[in-house]
Amino acid sequence: MKYLNTAWSIALHSLRENYKNRFFGLFVVFAGVLIYASLLAGVMAVDEEARVITDLGLALMELITLVYALLAAAAAITNEIRTKTIYLVFSRPVPRPAYLAGKAAGLYAAFALMLGVMALIHLSLLYFRGFVLPPLYLTAVIFIWCKLLIITSVALFVSLFATSTVSTVAITGILWTLGHFTSEAKFLITKSSGAAALVLKAVAYVIPNFQLFNARDIGAAAPPAAPPGFLAGYLLLWLVVPYLFSLLLFRKKEF
Amino acid sequence: MVGSRENIVSFSGVTKVYRRPGLFRKVLVPALGGLNLELKRGEIAGLLGLNGAGKTTIMKLMTGLLFPDAGTVSVFGLPPSDVASKKRIGFLPELPYFYPYSTAAEALMYYAGLSGLKGPAARARVDAVIEKVGLKPHASKNAAEFSKGMMQRLGVAQAIVHDPELLILDEPVSGLDPLAIHEIRELISQLNGEGKTVFLSSHSISELEKITDRVFILVQGRLANTVARAEWENTQGGLEEIFVRTVK
Repeated sequence: MKYLNTAWSIALHSLRENYKNRFFGLFVVFAGVLIYASLLAGVMAVDEEARVITDLGLALMELITLVYALLAAAAAITNEIRTKTIYLVFSRPVPRPAYLAGKAAGLYAAFALMLGVMALIHLSLLYFRGFVLPPLYLTAVIFIWCKLLIITSVALFVSLFATSTVSTVAITGILWTLGHFTSEAKFLITKSSGAAALVLKAVAYVIPNFQLFNARDIGAAAPPAAPPGFLAGYLLLWLVVPYLFSLLLFRKKEF
Repeated sequence: MVGSRENIVSFSGVTKVYRRPGLFRKVLVPALGGLNLELKRGEIAGLLGLNGAGKTTIMKLMTGLLFPDAGTVSVFGLPPSDVASKKRIGFLPELPYFYPYSTAAEALMYYAGLSGLKGPAARARVDAVIEKVGLKPHASKNAAEFSKGMMQRLGVAQAIVHDPELLILDEPVSGLDPLAIHEIRELISQLNGEGKTVFLSSHSISELEKITDRVFILVQGRLANTVARAEWENTQGGLEEIFVRTVK
């Protein structure tokens, strides 16, 4: 219970530090401007205006929150170490697992808040244009958040051994990109043999499959949607495994 | 007097070596070598040494921020990393830094929460501590707006917010103006009067002379001398003379 209380305090603090951060507001404003600017693309699409505004808006929300998430997650712990604020945390009865869990939970909540505000801006645009709420809209937003949860967990882990915030962002950025091409990777694996196939298989397992959480793929020509139970399990796996690896690195870390 | 009291901190044969990244392999930098040291309940003890003598390393070992390479450190009879011992410690690092977007009151509420205080009890304690360190008019200001002196006061406030038995203060008066130094000194004496054990480091010999019962003199990571108040009071040139003689 005390462990949960500590993690809760750290999560709330992490959330507050994020939404009070001026970059948080700037990212939301920037997203709002771009989402409203997507109106121009919608107008050019003529009959497909609703679809274009919806797709473009969701893509912008995902990309802008991703950039913020990578920067925030990469700096969340390293900044505390650099500024020595971590001294005031770990000189107190704070178990390291609770600290890591709290930091991650605070970031997850901050990204949910950011996505929520952006979604309201996006929906307001659709409303003003007279379009109805697109089907699967909420699912799409939740799936974007799920992808952010996974990449944030990975970024927190990478930040514990990377030499700088920039290298953490670069590594996780590459993983994010590769994670959207797992179908292609699987195709390449079936076409290759020997050592190359083994390497590709190994790589495929350590890269999260973000295509599973692409709402626009649901029911389309792309991969069929996985059952919700599988998605929940997959998400949990990608939250727990990087957390456990982070804990291994963090357990005996000195400050 | 101090000699008869119970030991609450003990270092036994503690060695600490830092591993700094080098070109081809890690460079080993010895910080402490076979250190033996005891801190007694209710005393104000000081740490004195040249830069790099190992003062901050000792404090970090006591708070579980560092781990010894050899020997044992015990705080209240427990390893320093044990949460039960950390509950009874308040730590002020040298040049404390706070989250830029938190007000003084928010920062203290956060630290009170991490120390196990909750709800109205935490709020009451935060209010009392803010008053005690003289930050009441600035409680709703962001820490980023604070001067060095105010930051140091906030640092002291976070160290005492959970009413710890042992205060570990790393350079508590570093860079402060004379009035702020006087106020911090008064506060330390007051806290000691309330029964708290205080362990502080300082470059200012005169500061340590004024408030400590005992001073440990460190030379290159080793305890070179332990000086009691009576000893420096009976020495021509005081603590400074003893210090210079010890480090030369």
